[in-house]
This record gives sequence, C-alpha cells and structure tokens, in this order.
Amino acid sequence: MIRSALRWPLAAFTGLFLFFLYAPFGVLGILSFQSGPEGGPQFPIIHWSTYWYRHLFGLTPPSRVAPLPIGDALVRSLTLAFLTMVTATVLGVISAQAFREKFRFSGVVFYLIVLGMIVPGVLVGLGTALLANHLGVARHWWSTSFVTHVVYTFPFAFLVMLAIFNRFDRSVEEASWSLGVSPFRTFNKVTLPLIFPGVLSAMLFAFTLSYDEFPRTLFTAGGAQTLPLAIYGTFSIEIHPNIFAFGVLTTLFSFALLAVYGLLMALSVRRARRVAIQEDVR
Amino acid sequence: MSHADATIAAGRPQDAAVRDRTRLARRRVGRLLLLTPAVVWMTLFLLAPIAMIVYVSFWTQYTFKIVPVLTTKSWVFFFSSETYLSALWTTIRLWVIVLALTLVIGYPVALYIGMFIRNKTTQTIVLVACVVPFWTSFLIRVVAWRPMLGTEGAVNLILLHLGIIKQPIEALLFTELSVVIGMTQIYVVFMVGPIAFMLSRIDPSVIEAARDLGASWWRVLRTIILPLSMPGVVVGAVFVSVMVLGEFATPAELSGRKVNMLGNIIVEQVGSLKWAFASVVGVVLTVLMAVIVALLLRLADLRREL
Repeated sequence: MIRSALRWPLAAFTGLFLFFLYAPFGVLGILSFQSGPEGGPQFPIIHWSTYWYRHLFGLTPPSRVAPLPIGDALVRSLTLAFLTMVTATVLGVISAQAFREKFRFSGVVFYLIVLGMIVPGVLVGLGTALLANHLGVARHWWSTSFVTHVVYTFPFAFLVMLAIFNRFDRSVEEASWSLGVSPFRTFNKVTLPLIFPGVLSAMLFAFTLSYDEFPRTLFTAGGAQTLPLAIYGTFSIEIHPNIFAFGVLTTLFSFALLAVYGLLMALSVRRARRVAIQEDVR
Repeated sequence: MSHADATIAAGRPQDAAVRDRTRLARRRVGRLLLLTPAVVWMTLFLLAPIAMIVYVSFWTQYTFKIVPVLTTKSWVFFFSSETYLSALWTTIRLWVIVLALTLVIGYPVALYIGMFIRNKTTQTIVLVACVVPFWTSFLIRVVAWRPMLGTEGAVNLILLHLGIIKQPIEALLFTELSVVIGMTQIYVVFMVGPIAFMLSRIDPSVIEAARDLGASWWRVLRTIILPLSMPGVVVGAVFVSVMVLGEFATPAELSGRKVNMLGNIIVEQVGSLKWAFASVVGVVLTVLMAVIVALLLRLADLRREL
C-alpha cells in the first residue's frame, strides 16, 4: 500500500520537527550550567557548575551580575493566575451552560466571547490603559491586568466547556429535575461531577495562560511587576545564564503543574467510572 | 360530545401549554442571568478599551501628553511617516512568511499524528510532546534562540565542526531570519493541533472506499483529506495570524530591535507617552487583523465544526 510508503518519510519529518521544537531548550538547559560569574550565555562551557542556580536564590557572593528580581514578581504572578483561573472558569461554565440551547443572538454573544482570545494582547492592554487613564483609575496588576487576563482566558474556558456540554447526556439532568430536585442542587450533584474533567482543563488553560501572559500585562500592571515583566526587564540589559537557569526551573514548575492536572484528571475519571459501576450493580 | 366534555378534555393540554410557556419564560430568564456577567465583562473590558483606542487616535498629541481635542493629525503623521509605513509592511511580510512556514511544516506533522498513528495512546503522547514546549514561559522560549543562532551559537558550532562552513554565519541572529525562525518554532504548534484534531476525525472507511474504487493516494489527499481538514487549517491559521500580527517581543529580542512590527511601534510610543500615535497604530493593527480573520473565516464555518 502507498500509505506505508508515505509513513516513514512522515515519521522522519515529525521526528525532525520535534527536534526543532526541543533543540533550543536543550541548549538552554546545557548553558544554564555555565560557570559563573565570568561565563557568558554562549558556548563553550568554561566548566560545569550550578553557579547560576545558586545565583537565582541569592546563595552566591555579590558580583557584577545583579540577581533576578523574581521573588515578589513570582508571588504576584501566582496570585494573579489563581484569581484569573477562578473567575474565567466560573464565567466559562455559566456561559457555556446558557449555550446548551439555541437562542436568539447566540451568534453575536458567541463571537463577542471568542473575540477576547483573538484580539492581540498589545491592543487590549493599550485600550485598557487608555480607558483607565481617562477614567482616572490607577493601574495595578490585581485590577486592570486582572480584568484583561480574564478577557483572554475566559474564551478558552468557555470553548472547553462548550465542547464538554456538546457531548453531555442531558437525560440524567432531566431525570433529576423530574424527581423534583432543584436546578441548583441538580447542577451541584449531577452536572458538576460529570463535567468536572472539562472544568479541570479549563482551569489549567486559564492558570497557565495568565501566569505566562506578557503583552496584556505590559501596559496595565502599573508600577509593580509580574514575573513575565520582570523577565522582560532583564532582557533590555545584558543577558546572563541566570535567565537560562530560571527558564529551566519555570519549565520544571510547569511540568509539576501538568502532573498535578494529570493526577486530578485520573482521579476524577476513576471516580466517574466507579459511580457508573455502582449504578450497573444496582 | 357535549360542550362540557369538550372543555374538560381540552383543559389538560391547555394547562400543559401554560406550564410549558412559564417554563420557557423561566428558562429565558435563567439564560439571561447566566449570560449577563460574560456580556458585561466583555463589553466593559474588551469592547470599551478598543473603542477607546479608536477615540484616542483622534486626540491631539503634545510632546508629553494628550488632549481630547479631536484632530486627524496623528493619522496624517502615520501615513506620511516612513518608519510607520515600513512597520506596517514588515508586519504583513512577516505574517505571510510565518503563516506559510507554520502551514508547510505543521501540515505533514499533523497528517502523521492524525492519520498514521491509529493508536489513541501513542497519538496523545506525540501530541503532548508537541505541546510541552508551550508550557515554558513565552519569553524564555524567545531567548532560548539566542544561544542557538549567535555567531558562537550551537548551529554555527555544529556546522563549523562538520566542516560545512569555514566562517560562522553571522546572518543567523539579529536579522529578520532569526525572527522568522523564532516565531515559526513558537507558533507552529497552534497549526499542528487543530489540523491533527480534524484529521483524526476522518472515518478511515471513507479513505478505504476511495482506495478500493481505484483512487490514487494523491487524489485521496486532494479530494478527501485536504477538504475535510480545512476547518483545522482555518482555526490554526487564525491562531497563528492573530499572534504573529500582535507580536513585538520576538522581533525586539531576536533582531536586536532592528525589525520593527506594528506592535513594536505601539510599545515604543507608549514608552514615550505618545498615546495618540500608539492608538493610531493600534487602530491600523485592529483593521488589518479584522480583515485577515474575516477572510480566513470565509473558508470554513467554524461554529458548526465544534
């Protein structure tokens, strides 16, 4: 079959593609072990050391390279990502719930929501900053940045939930209603457990997108910096391998986050399966 | 049948109709309650800011402040400025190049993942492997290209070592080429994902039927696979387009601020408090993006595909 003739070239291409995706990180990882403080952000490695990792945590004697200003920025970014995650997921679930039936203007509302993920961040940031200035509202990461982050992440949560509701068996809910259970209690006891994997994905999307968001924060954060702003600030000066070490650590942090997500997902799937088995037995 | 009988018989359906109507009305109120927060939020924090950009683009710009006296001066300034027009041209050029590259590189990968890996677990693993870099900070991903492409970078070292080149290639970093390479790597995943998703939904029996009827592999690709994957291509193209059009960090970092897109001009103008000029550039960028997205969306009806 010709399909098998195509198979190996395509597989090889995909392999090359993955190499293209990962190679910069490999180089970044290697160079993060450059010796310091004299070693620069390029080859060759003078000798291997963990200097730049210790430098990140302020464990090295003071040198000409200033430590990355990341402590407070990290706390701000995590707080902001958490607030955004909660708000965007709640908005996403309730709006997708409304979209389960066709209604007039559903197209308009749909595109209004999706617009939030389509408009470039630099525009949303600029507009929000202008509006805040015009109204005399001070710009802070927890106010103006927060609302733009939700504008960005809420559409993702909405689309995830829409896809989940599309595959949702509505008869279980109807059974609950016809037994006289209130809509609120039905949502809590029947709907929410069933859509929980979707809610988890929506939360993961919202958290990581907000945590890493840069253009929307640039004009809206006011004086205090979030993590991406702090990183960007160091770019304008000279680059040192401490940024590489930091990149390795943030990547590991993201993997930890993914692992937590995977674990919660597996647990919720197993719970759903156990409930299904119990129902079969009855 | 007597008159009374008829009333009794009709009574129940009438009750039911009333009940149905109140239930419908209740549902409508419920839906309104569910949608209000979203609509209010998007109106206040998305539509109003964009309207504000349009409004401010007609304000009068003084050296360090803007005054709400309407004028078209900033607009005239934009279209008579060599720097601004070349930024517009750079934005369009980079968009076309990166979009083409992400499609050319992304499609075969998506084809392999979506159609050639039939084992669901393997498929998920390969897809996750593609998405994992996305979980690293965007700015770190950009800066990771510096030690790759510099004159003492990994690519030059390897090429020198293999004896392919005698002198390090200096054109690799701080040029438009490095910006294109960086953006392609960062955004290609957004092309692979949607296309692979659409391809994996194609029923294999359709292709088998076509093959049994004697269609060549090329014909199957052209008449079945390409059309059915179109919505994925459109979604991917929309993602890549809006992200490339709004870029400023990648060109700034990988070109050493030599390549300026519209986003770079906005950041630069805001930095020197030229809000009105920044707004003009913002409106131009919005219009450009709207035209491109509208054109792309004409290629497929996306809501139907969800």
